[in-house]
Amino acid sequence: MKLLSKYNRVNLIATIIVLLISAALYYFFIESALIHQLDKSLLVEEKEITDYINESNQLPDPLDSKDQQELYTPSNDKVARKFSNVNLYSKDHHESVYYRQLEFPVVVNGRPYKADVRKSQEETEYLVQLILKITLAMVILLLMALFIINRFLLNKLWKPFNNTLQQIKKFNVSGKEEVQAEATDINEFMELNTAVRLMTKKATQDYNEIKNFTENASHEIQTPLAIIRSKLELLSQSDNLKEEQMNAIQSISETTNRLSKLNHSLLLLTKIDNKQFSGPEKVNMSALVLHHLGNYEELLLAKHIELLKEITAGINLIMNETLADILIMNLLSNAIKYNVDGGFIKVVLNEEYLCISNRGLPLRTDPSVLFDRFKKDAASSDSLGLGLSIVKKINDSYGFTTTYSYSEKVHAILVTF
Amino acid sequence: MKILIVEDEKELSDSIATYLKSENYICEMAPDLAKAMEKIEMYEYDCILLDITLPGGSGLEILKELKANNKLDGVLIISAKNALDDRVSGLLLGADDYLPKPFHLSELSARIASIIRRKNFAGNNLLKFDSITIDTIAKTVFVRNKELDLTKKEFELLLYFASNKNRVISKNAIAEHLWGDNMEGNNDFIYTHIKNLRRKLADAGDIEFIKSVYGMGYKFCV
Repeated sequence: MKLLSKYNRVNLIATIIVLLISAALYYFFIESALIHQLDKSLLVEEKEITDYINESNQLPDPLDSKDQQELYTPSNDKVARKFSNVNLYSKDHHESVYYRQLEFPVVVNGRPYKADVRKSQEETEYLVQLILKITLAMVILLLMALFIINRFLLNKLWKPFNNTLQQIKKFNVSGKEEVQAEATDINEFMELNTAVRLMTKKATQDYNEIKNFTENASHEIQTPLAIIRSKLELLSQSDNLKEEQMNAIQSISETTNRLSKLNHSLLLLTKIDNKQFSGPEKVNMSALVLHHLGNYEELLLAKHIELLKEITAGINLIMNETLADILIMNLLSNAIKYNVDGGFIKVVLNEEYLCISNRGLPLRTDPSVLFDRFKKDAASSDSLGLGLSIVKKINDSYGFTTTYSYSEKVHAILVTF
Repeated sequence: MKILIVEDEKELSDSIATYLKSENYICEMAPDLAKAMEKIEMYEYDCILLDITLPGGSGLEILKELKANNKLDGVLIISAKNALDDRVSGLLLGADDYLPKPFHLSELSARIASIIRRKNFAGNNLLKFDSITIDTIAKTVFVRNKELDLTKKEFELLLYFASNKNRVISKNAIAEHLWGDNMEGNNDFIYTHIKNLRRKLADAGDIEFIKSVYGMGYKFCV
């Protein structure tokens, strides 16, 4: 719901309620004031009648007009003096009319009478109607005013806000464009714009710092690694090494390799996360898959792994070529590394999907966590557990879905484009 | 053959120099941009090993300078900055190859040899040692004038050994050279290729060229 509509709704409901309450209050106060007025004039009438009776010792003539009635009935009961409201049908005017009535006892020549003096309340009813009409008119006027204000004024008032919002939506932390907020003289929007400018500036700055940090970290870590590795290789050239020394060299060199690959993989993941790979281009997946299969051809032969391929020629994807390369290399090398002697690899590539399946050892881990970082099958201790999360990350960044399935010693990874 | 090592990490450039010297390369070192600029102006090198991040500026400046002066030195970028931008702009500026750190010295030596072979295209494309002759263009191998029937990977393996004669080469370095990043740690894969290559060489020449070095790898002895 728009802020405006929400505000309008509350505003409108509150105003209408206030209007209705005030209408009711008007009604009650004015009515009671009028009735008080009527009662006063009824008392005047009463006094006139009793005065008349005291002077002439006879009843006045009854009166029956629309506005006022006076009638007298003989009464044996004791009559209490009281005001009341009555509704009477007037034959002359063919309508029922509310009257304010005062009944009081009079005595003429020793005989008790009940005197009724009534005055019409029509004026009060008229007033009520008037109040209702005015209230209704006010409500309609209010609605129109709100509509006009929304339509013309508020849209204009909110324009700087909407403009800023559009800019924020378009904002890309890795991009070079800054948020260009429209100048405004409204304090809240000025504050918003300042905050947005500061925030985006900070975000861009932080992003660049992190980007630089990852690159620098890469540099700083790779260089010592390069030194360690080169020294080890020189050391391994020396003659007269003892067996345990050779073992130590070998084990340090393995660890260095692991560390270097780990660093490399984590950097790759960070780079994909930060969308630091250059724009997508058309990549011929069919050619790429065939190229990598060619690279592994002799390996497959040596391991007695049968290669089954159903590759549709000319499948093009729009993605970064290096990432496509990494994707395919990771999937194929996994399928080879975790294969068994005499197993098979099946590679299917068509317009909808790439599916690489292989015979392997039974999986001992929960398949749903295989794509998480550092999760790996318990059986493969030398793996880093990053290969599949890199695959997943690459696929995610291009909107491809990645599913893993296992049945009957066959592992399959399906990438749906 | 003269090599210029442009690298600010002394420990690393020392290691590289030590390794390359025993391959009969003459190595000179430049630890910063100014020194490197000075050297390339004065001398010609068969191959320049170039780090991108240097005190005093980017190593790419050297590429620009070489290009501006039409110098034909081979350039191998050795960078820890595995940023794609550097790789692409480096190769665009005329570098011959790109080797990200940390690398195996044996891989470095093989890449240098390959660059020098390409640069000296008019010269000799035949590598001869002992009774073996490798034709790097036709990709054929002769032992005692008899052609060996090698597979593609076996040829690559032999060439790799040839660029690192009498050196212990680790199994990981071989795996990385043959199949790229993802295959190391699977030494049985290499073993099959080594075994076949050994057999073919032995059949033709009756000499044990490839020696296993306990726990560490292999050594090509000629």
